[in-house]
Amino acid sequence: MSKKTINIPIGSQHIALLEPVRFKFECENEKIITVDSDVGFVHRGIERACTTKFKFDGIGYVVARVCGLCAITHSLSYTVAIEKLLGTEISVKAKYLRILLLELDRIHSHMLCLSHTCESAGFEAMFMRIMGDRELVMEIQELLTGNRIQFDYISIGGVNRDLSSEIAQKIRQNLYEVKQRALGYREEFTNNWSLSLKFKGIGALSLDDAYRFNAIGPLARASGLHVDVRNEINYLPFSEVGFVMQTHKAGDINARNLIRLDEIQNSIKMCENIVNGLPEGDIFTKPKGKPNGEALVRFEAPRGELMYYVKGNATAMLERVRIKTPTFSSIPAFSHIFVGEDYADVPAILASFDPCLSCTAK
Amino acid sequence: MIQSLIKAFTNLFKKPQTIDYPLTPIAKDKEYRGLIEYGEESCIYCLKCEKACPPGAILFVKTENPSANEKNKKALEYNYNPYLCIYCGECVRACPKPEEALWQSNKKPSVATKEDKVNDNWFVLERLKKES
Repeated sequence: MSKKTINIPIGSQHIALLEPVRFKFECENEKIITVDSDVGFVHRGIERACTTKFKFDGIGYVVARVCGLCAITHSLSYTVAIEKLLGTEISVKAKYLRILLLELDRIHSHMLCLSHTCESAGFEAMFMRIMGDRELVMEIQELLTGNRIQFDYISIGGVNRDLSSEIAQKIRQNLYEVKQRALGYREEFTNNWSLSLKFKGIGALSLDDAYRFNAIGPLARASGLHVDVRNEINYLPFSEVGFVMQTHKAGDINARNLIRLDEIQNSIKMCENIVNGLPEGDIFTKPKGKPNGEALVRFEAPRGELMYYVKGNATAMLERVRIKTPTFSSIPAFSHIFVGEDYADVPAILASFDPCLSCTAK
Repeated sequence: MIQSLIKAFTNLFKKPQTIDYPLTPIAKDKEYRGLIEYGEESCIYCLKCEKACPPGAILFVKTENPSANEKNKKALEYNYNPYLCIYCGECVRACPKPEEALWQSNKKPSVATKEDKVNDNWFVLERLKKES
């Protein structure tokens, strides 16, 4: 007798989804057997616009608009690619300031993901609590860059604004506060029944599968895979400011939450080190020439590896800009995790991936 | 678990974190990135800001009533579209006389209404610029 299966779609618009993605699940009773995904609902043609509408020096501001949460990683990756082509050497101070904003961005992005995971477990109070605390980070980002979301802080040759002593003091205060509160979250995520019991053992990805499906970012690190682009690149001095790779073994939703909490602590430490030991110097070096040749740059966005390929032909217009985003690279791993899980757990698993479809479809 | 319960109860007696926005204004930092402002008397009409602007929100278009500024030899007029501007400040960094000719304030643009014809008026300027 053949087994009967039913197809249940989730998305492209669904109450449990944060962004437009469609998953088609083939279910046998409650268990998911196969998964099909579609991610192209918010395509805006940004790559094409970069090569036809804008000159190379303005594209940093265009690619920042690919994503609201990891805007800084996008503009930073593009800028580093262009600096490689132009041969511009930026000052040490600018490098540290770039890391500072990159890590602040990671803290607020991880906090957003954690709050959404709580919301998907029906723990609204925790969602409100984390979102309220996230304002502390948003506030210092606004003070540092002049804007809450679209920072426009990085330009080819350095950064746009310097760090004054008042802002540095405010950053120290707020980060201390966030650090204490994030320690409190750890207690909640490990001991609170609404969170830990609902998440332990759900949506697990084994180390072998993480390796086989090329998982990246917190998803891979939660399974014990030692992958972090910050450990592999030398454009910015991450190891000097106290970067330590965080890994966990379980690979389930709870492990992914704990990884994010650990990374928040590590990023806070990095930011504090930068603010306390910022060297003197210029923040901007004027770049010269037009980009010629090819450059490939990788950075660790809050969700995993972000890759930029830029090809120039010694004119103001670029020949090609290719963006490979972390969510896109993780789709095989996402699809694998769903297989064998209950359909009812899908929103929680999906929230724990922290998918960014705006990045993926661009 | 007990800690969480205590926190939830104490939260009941806390002030709300949100701001009653239109009634209570949100405090603005003096360094907030807002509208670009222009000082015509100091402008040397080098058009660097126009070239640097990523979205093209600054246009110098020929006018019949040019300003009395002697540097304005081509009879140009400065036009700025606050609704197209992304407030990145590239123009101010490109300007040879920042703070005098071009600077960034912390003001917000007013809400555009249909009567303002923001887009239509700007498209006319863009066409004029292309033709010149």
